[in-house]
Amino acid sequence: MRKLTVRHFIEGEGRIDLQLRLIAGEGGLEKEIKYGEINRPGLALAGFFDYFAYDRIQIFGQGETAFMNQLSYEQKMKTYSDFFSYDLLCCIFTHEYVPDKLFLEFAEKKNVPVFLSKRGTTRFITLFVHVIDEIFAEQVTLHATLVDVFGVGVLLTGKSGVGKSETALELIERGHRLVADDMVIVKKIDESLLMGAGSEILKHHIEIRGIGIVNVREIFGIRSVRNRKRIEMVILLEEWDSGKEYDRLGLDDKKYNILDIEVPYITVPVRPGRNIPVIIETAALNQRLKKIGINSARELDEKIKKWIITEGQK
Amino acid sequence: MVEKDVVVNSDAGIHARPAMMIVREAMKYPCEVMLIKDNVEADAKSIMSVLGLAIISGSKLTIRAHGEGETELVEYLINLIEKDFRV
Repeated sequence: MRKLTVRHFIEGEGRIDLQLRLIAGEGGLEKEIKYGEINRPGLALAGFFDYFAYDRIQIFGQGETAFMNQLSYEQKMKTYSDFFSYDLLCCIFTHEYVPDKLFLEFAEKKNVPVFLSKRGTTRFITLFVHVIDEIFAEQVTLHATLVDVFGVGVLLTGKSGVGKSETALELIERGHRLVADDMVIVKKIDESLLMGAGSEILKHHIEIRGIGIVNVREIFGIRSVRNRKRIEMVILLEEWDSGKEYDRLGLDDKKYNILDIEVPYITVPVRPGRNIPVIIETAALNQRLKKIGINSARELDEKIKKWIITEGQK
Repeated sequence: MVEKDVVVNSDAGIHARPAMMIVREAMKYPCEVMLIKDNVEADAKSIMSVLGLAIISGSKLTIRAHGEGETELVEYLINLIEKDFRV
């Protein structure tokens, strides 16, 4: 896995949500965040250092700052020199509380980044855990294309050359939105949530054989793209194989496994003259119906079964 | 399956043109072929995938092929990268 540093809080993906302001200890921004966990340093400040989780992210709330406020200069000197004798990762003060000069001097000297947040502690921790969980989420890179079709995150997979990018292009043309082409970074945010996004450098570029690389956002405008999308179904595109049986009913739900999460999955055979984008749109809408409990295939089947019984009684 | 490691030495890393050279060669073979960097796998038959790996000078790559023509293709790609794409 890639190395994650404290710098990520102010420059990485998390910066927009966290809105942290660095006020000291810039030299420590390259420190690696090894555990996505937080610690409230109240006990350590009070002098109890057993089990002090110094390598976690220290969060100073109103309790900690009030405690620091009532210390005399000598007490501060003692407390801070003990506190900073550990190789601290970074400190975050909520309620935009600016710590005293002595604390900042220690932080600067020991290269411990100190951040301020406007938010209250509980609110901040909730948000922070969310952001951190996402950063530390298990991830996998898939050779696939991700498109938002009528609000359904559709992951198109299939061998190279089967027409994933061309299909995506036509879907974009029809008003749907591209998340990533050919390389999708999938994160398991939660046991039931897979989030897909493109790589930072490739963002919204697409390669079309015959034209080359084009920038979808520039050509089709901002409404044609989005940065991330929950993956709700997988569609495998494959060359039409006359010897293979394709699903003609849609009664059985097939699942595709990504990072141990089961995602609804269908196979769409491709052959000249088949309008694949329309099929994908229909599949996406059908998926939405299934999600709210309407299964067209099953309902028709029920209807026919009922009809057979009533007819048989006549 | 054939798997080989190689270190990219060309100063500019693998930008668009070198990526194209890899993809163009890979497309000639029916086998599946992957470039692997830092545990991230990319399909060597897709320009965007290869570019997405962000391969810079000094990057360690693994080339893994599976299927018909695997040995020749891996050989060719290793040679291409080792010779800094001046083949």
